[in-house]
Parts: sequence; structure tokens; C-alpha cells
Amino acid sequence: MEKIAITGIGVVSPSGIGKRQFWANIKSGRSFIKKITRFDASLYPSHIAGQIDDLEKYSHISERLLKKIDAFSHMALVASETALQDAGIDIKNEDPNLVGIFLGNAIGGWLYAETELRDLYLEGREGVSPYMASAWFPAAPQGQVSIYYGIKGFSKTVVSDRASSSMALGYARKVLDKNKLNMIIAGGMEAPVTPYALLCCNTYGALSKNNDDPQSAYRPFDKKRSGFVIGEGAGIVVMESIQRARKRGANILGYISGYGTSCDGVDRINCASDGKELARAINMALTDARVKPQDIGYISLDGLAVELWDDSEIRALKLVFGDALKDIPLSCPKSMFGNLLGASGALDMITALLTMENNLVPPTLNLDTPALNGLNYVRGQAKEYKVNKSLIISRGRGGINSVLVVEKGEK
Amino acid sequence: MDTKAKVKEVLSSLLKVKLEELKDEVSLQDSIGVDSTEMVESVIALEKSFGVKLSPKEITKSSTINGIADNIQSKLAK
Repeated sequence: MEKIAITGIGVVSPSGIGKRQFWANIKSGRSFIKKITRFDASLYPSHIAGQIDDLEKYSHISERLLKKIDAFSHMALVASETALQDAGIDIKNEDPNLVGIFLGNAIGGWLYAETELRDLYLEGREGVSPYMASAWFPAAPQGQVSIYYGIKGFSKTVVSDRASSSMALGYARKVLDKNKLNMIIAGGMEAPVTPYALLCCNTYGALSKNNDDPQSAYRPFDKKRSGFVIGEGAGIVVMESIQRARKRGANILGYISGYGTSCDGVDRINCASDGKELARAINMALTDARVKPQDIGYISLDGLAVELWDDSEIRALKLVFGDALKDIPLSCPKSMFGNLLGASGALDMITALLTMENNLVPPTLNLDTPALNGLNYVRGQAKEYKVNKSLIISRGRGGINSVLVVEKGEK
Repeated sequence: MDTKAKVKEVLSSLLKVKLEELKDEVSLQDSIGVDSTEMVESVIALEKSFGVKLSPKEITKSSTINGIADNIQSKLAK
């Protein structure tokens, strides 16, 4: 399978909106995890998150549309617009039948849903907004993006827990490789900072309860890890064939060159402890990209900050990379802004593209004492490395594994 | 406030459009591109505001501001 070019990046995250602001904060290693202020979450065992407070400031969406959509669609629309602008694409000049949308999401639009469900029980059926049905479900952002731009090509929403957007990107590459479409808007979005969604995340049992010190709560791979912290946002890119990107003189920001996926199949929640299936997905992605393990210059870790998940992730990497693993820089930058669940893979891929462009690996925060020694974690602050190829690991509940290989662009 | 002005105010506030976008003699579909869900929502809001029973069909048929106001006026007069 051929490499696919990425020519535009759109980021909506707690660490910044737009790739410049996002990268400036990521490279400086600043934490954006804080106590939730959107609603009174003080009674939840975990009430900290990466929260976006200034989306309206960057939004081009009318009030009329905003009342019909959930926050996750809003984030997807802003990220899509930014990605298209970054790619220098005016969608009006595209054949709408040959443009697709591939997005990943895990939980749907709960801010909208829970408000309307409250009204259903308080006011009866007439109290519920007629937009409820089209606002909450996971594919709603795909629909809104398609309506907004008049996009009519083959499109898909992937729901695969935290691996959703990574899978959407891998799927999008396959479709572009078959020349079925000219370009795809791909990535993911998630808005879990709502009363009910936060409750579900708490019930999962893997969130950090270190509410008194939010900035040091998310500590993947650290001996004192206590679980992850949720975040909200969207990461969306413009993908197109290399030939088309070059023909139109686009800035090629990077390439997706490999994709692999597998399932552990051992538990409805947990992953397998042996890391074998994750290792198989990593090998699939490397083979697909036609690169050897020693060609990988940076590994973006899933990093759930739960012993079973962290240890099995490292076990899988050791199975693939062997002793060479100790020399490859590893990082989990989401420790700065939270785990964006279904959008986490897309944000990790965007971070990897910026890492390669800037020859700077961003740090994992709070990794003061690694639980497993002898590895090249980049921690505390960013470190210079010339990276040409990166491996990005995404995992979901029940042992869903999704791995991407991305390569440096032509800039 | 006369019926027409009140209809405009209800729709402007509900649909988040400016008053001047609602034209007296142009249908809501043609003036602001109202969709079917917005039409249902508009019927519910107008029913609540005026205390009359309306149907989406009626409103779609007479979907100019003047047409809607006349429809409501005739029901209020009964």
C-alpha cells in the first residue's frame, strides 16, 4: 500500500486551538489539566480534566447551528475548518463526490443528550429538542461536517473506544490508496467533560483521583501512577495522495505509511498482559510501511497510567524492538492535556508530525520515577532528536490495538 | 404588539436569525433556508406564544411571515 500525504492540520485541544498554539504549549511541557469548572463535579471521585474554555473565540459556527449540535460536533467543525485552511483547500473547488470524511469517536455527544433527557423526564416529550436525535450519536460530527461543506463522498465514523480516531486514519488511508476519493478529512473528536460522561468514565475505574494536584495527576509509566485524566477536543487532518498533493503544490506535512490493528480477546475491559496482540499490530504497521524496527525514531505511547496497560504496552514494544528499544525516544504527550479518548490517536499523530517537523520530542509529564527502567523516556522537558519515522500506539477497552506509522514531510 | 411583529420576534429568537432576515412576503425556506426540523420547532414555539393549535402542514403552506401571521390571526378571531 502507498503512503498517503497529510497536507493540513486542525487542532482543538486543552493545550491550544490551532497547531501553532498547540505546539508552543506542547514543546514547553505545560500541563493543562485542572479542576472541572463547567459544572459542579466536586462529588465525583475524579473531577479533573483537560477542558476547553475558549472554543467560541475561534469558532466560525453560527448560533443557529450551535443550538442544533453537541460540543463534539462543534469541535469537529472548527478543527475541520482549520485543517482545510492549513491545507490551502477551498472545498468549493473540489468534486464533492470525491471528498470523504473519516472520523473516530468513543462516547457521542452527551452534553446535548443528557440535557434533553433531563427535560424529557421533567417536561415530557414536548420538552425535548427536535435536534436531540441528530445531535448526540457518534456519527453526528461526520454528518455536520458533510452538510457544512456539501461533502458527498464515501465517509465513515469509527467507534472503537480510545482507538477510534487512529482506526479512522488507518481506514482513510486504505480508501485513498484505492483511488476511490481525491481527499479525506480524517481524525476524531470527543467531549467527555459532561456530568453523565464523566460519571461513566469514573465508573470505568481507571481515572486518577488526585484532584488536589491536577497537574501531576496523569503520570503514565511512573511508579506512582494512579490512572489517567480525561480531556476534550478534536484532531483532524486533510489526507490526499502524494501525486495530487505535489501537483497542487501543497505543503506535505507528513505521510501515513503504515497501519496495523488487532484485538486481545481476553476481557471485556482489560487488555492482555502479555502484549502479544499489540506486538502483532505493531509488526503489521511496520510491514505495511515497509520499514524495519530500527528505522523508527520516535514512539508515541498510549500511556493509560494503569499498571496492566502500561506494562503490557512496554512488553509489546520489547517483543518487536528487542534491545534496540532502549535507544528510541518514547513519550506520552497527552499527559499534558488529558486523554481525549476516541480523539486521542489523532492528537497523538498530529503531535508526532509536529515532532518530526521540529526535530523535538515533547515530554511525558510527571514521569519522575519510571516503573520500568532502562528505557529512553523523554520526560520533564522536550528533547532534540532528528526523527524521520514515528510509531503511534492507540488502545481501547477490551484490548483493541491500533498502530500507525507516520513519516516526516517534505518541508 | 401586532401578530406579525410577534411572529417575527418568536422566530428570530428561536432560530437565532436577525429580524430583518425574516421577510414578509418570502417563504421561510427561501429567506433563511429553514429545514423541516426547524419548521416543527417553529410550530411548537408559535403555538406556545399565541395559545392556538397549528400544524406543520399549515405553516409550510403559508410559510411567509404574512401568511403565518394571517393564519394565527384567523384562529385567534374564532
